[in-house]
Parts: sequence; structure tokens; C-alpha cells
Amino acid sequence: MRKPFNLAFCPVLAVVFLVIRIKVKNAETGAAVEMELEGENTIDEIIESAATFWSKDMGAYVLRKGKKVLRGGSSLSDAGIRAEDVLELIPDPEGG
Amino acid sequence: MPLKPGAIDDDRYDRSRRVSWLDIESASRARVLMVGAGALGNEVAKNLALSGFRKITIVDMDHVVGSNLNRCLFFTEEHAIKRAYKSQVVADGMKRLSREAEPVAVTRRIEDVSPSVFDDHDIVLGCLDNIAARLHVNSHSYAAGRVYVDGGMDGLVGKVTIARPPSGSCLQCGMNRSHAKVASLRFSCTGKDVVFHEPRLAAEITTTSVISAVMVREALKVVSGKTDLLLSNAFYYDGQRNVSEVIEIPLDPSCPVHSRRS
Repeated sequence: MRKPFNLAFCPVLAVVFLVIRIKVKNAETGAAVEMELEGENTIDEIIESAATFWSKDMGAYVLRKGKKVLRGGSSLSDAGIRAEDVLELIPDPEGG
Repeated sequence: MPLKPGAIDDDRYDRSRRVSWLDIESASRARVLMVGAGALGNEVAKNLALSGFRKITIVDMDHVVGSNLNRCLFFTEEHAIKRAYKSQVVADGMKRLSREAEPVAVTRRIEDVSPSVFDDHDIVLGCLDNIAARLHVNSHSYAAGRVYVDGGMDGLVGKVTIARPPSGSCLQCGMNRSHAKVASLRFSCTGKDVVFHEPRLAAEITTTSVISAVMVREALKVVSGKTDLLLSNAFYYDGQRNVSEVIEIPLDPSCPVHSRRS
């Protein structure tokens, strides 16, 4: 089983800061990755981490929860992200 | 006027008029600003002309090249050889489709056109291929109080986003650091366009057709006064899986477009 992708994990700090484990899906392939995060991590950080993890082409992406696009600069806490939430990374098409 | 047998088939818009809410007369009077005359621009222009729009300003500074020909209705090899301006070719094509059409071609970057152009039109359709131009059109449309319908594509994926001032989110509300990174790669330190990052995105006609159709249908709703039927935010289309859905872009209070107004 693949080890969860970890943005926040630190054995000591994990005791102090609540680690939130979420799942991020790749809309283009259907693949998913688990992430361990803190409430202070931002949506921008998740987008960058997921795009890097899947070796995405340089491009614009958004993260959504259900039908709602999440604001890049907002923290997980601000965005109301909770443990076990499933977010989806979708490309934001630039061409015309 | 005396009734003539068969006259119903002489009316170009008879079948359109059978859509109960469609207001062809309003469409014929509406002033449309179409920014970008590439693949989406070709299809949007076709749909506008056939839908009864007449007064259309087409802004694009680029010229036709051979690689455009897999998805652009009005472009031919001759245009590519002559390096004809896209805006002019599309304007000419619209006139061939509808004698009533009165397109005006503007062969310039939208950033170089006076911002008053947004006030001078009733609705703005974005058929652009880069984030910086989208941001420009988005902010100026919003400031002018004009509905902005933006289309974007990458291969079999497409999106239509609608910004409806004076309330509601705009395109920039839905952007994040990944958009800023892509936009920044288009500029050198002198602020001029550079060639080292001009992504050649996958593009084909079927996705273009879907996205342009949604864009013009939304424009028809706007000019017909059916704003209650408008997309609330964004229409997302994945042609590979043949799925589409409407997604919400919440208004970002820190978005410069909105904070500027308050």
C-alpha cells in the first residue's frame, strides 16, 4: 500500500497539532492519494503537492470539494476541510 | 401583410422563434464584444451569426497559421499562407453566414484597446488562450457592469465561466497560485511577451464545439432577459468521460476585482 503523502507529519508536532488526513483525487486519471496535513496548510500547497506528486504538466489547476472550488490562499481550517474529506484536483483549461 | 402559403419557411429565424424564451429581436440589437478569434472564436462567431446576433466586435491581434486548420471553420490554407489576420477572416466569414451580420474586426491586443470598449458593448465573450488577457477582460467587464462569458479548453476538457456584476464571483475569484505561475511565465522582466513559454495545448474541434455552444447559449439567455436560467458560475466539461457539471466559484472578498469596487 502506498504511504500517505505527508505535508505536515512530524512525530513530535503531530502530538501538538492535529493532523488531518484527507484524500485528493486526480480528475484526469481517477487516481487518488492520501495526504496528512495541518489546519494551517493552504489549498495552494495541496494543489502544488498533488500536481508535483502526479508529475502534472505546468498549468493551472483548481481543487474542489463537492461542487465548490476552494480558494487557493485559504487554510484548511478556513476552507472547512475535515479529516476524511475527499478533494478533487481538476485542470483549469487555458486554451482558446 | 397578406398571408402567403409557405412564408413560414422563408423566415430565417422561424425555428429559433419556436424556443419560447428566445428573443431574436434583442439578439439582433445586442452589441457583443468577442475577444479572441482562434478556435473558440471561430465557433462562437458561427453560433452568434446563426443565432441572429448582428453587432459583433472581434478583437484579436494574431494571424492564421497552418496548425489552426484542424478546428477553425473560417480559416483556410490560403489564409495561413497569406498570414491573414484572424479577426478579419472571422468577420468576413460571419458576413458569409448571415447578410445581416455587421462584424467589426479590431486587429489589436485587447490590452491595447481603450477600456471604453467594454462600456460600448452589452455582453463580453472571452475566447482567449492565456490567463493574463482573461484577467484583463474579466476586470474591465466587471467594472463596466457587463456579463462576461469566458471559455477555455485543453484537449477534451473545457470550461465556461460566467461573471455577473455587480454581485457574484468573477474569474479571478477562482484562480490560485498555479494560475499566477502560468501567467508569470508569459512575461519577461521587460514586461513584454516572450516566446520561451508558449504552451502548445492539445486542441480539437469537438470540445471547441461543445464549449462555444454553451457560451453562445448563455449569451442568448442574457440578451433574452432570462438571467434566471444562466449558469450560476462555471460549466465544466470532460469529453473523455462525457461528463459535465456546474461547479460553484465562491466570491473571494480579497479578490482585487471586488475589493476595488467596495
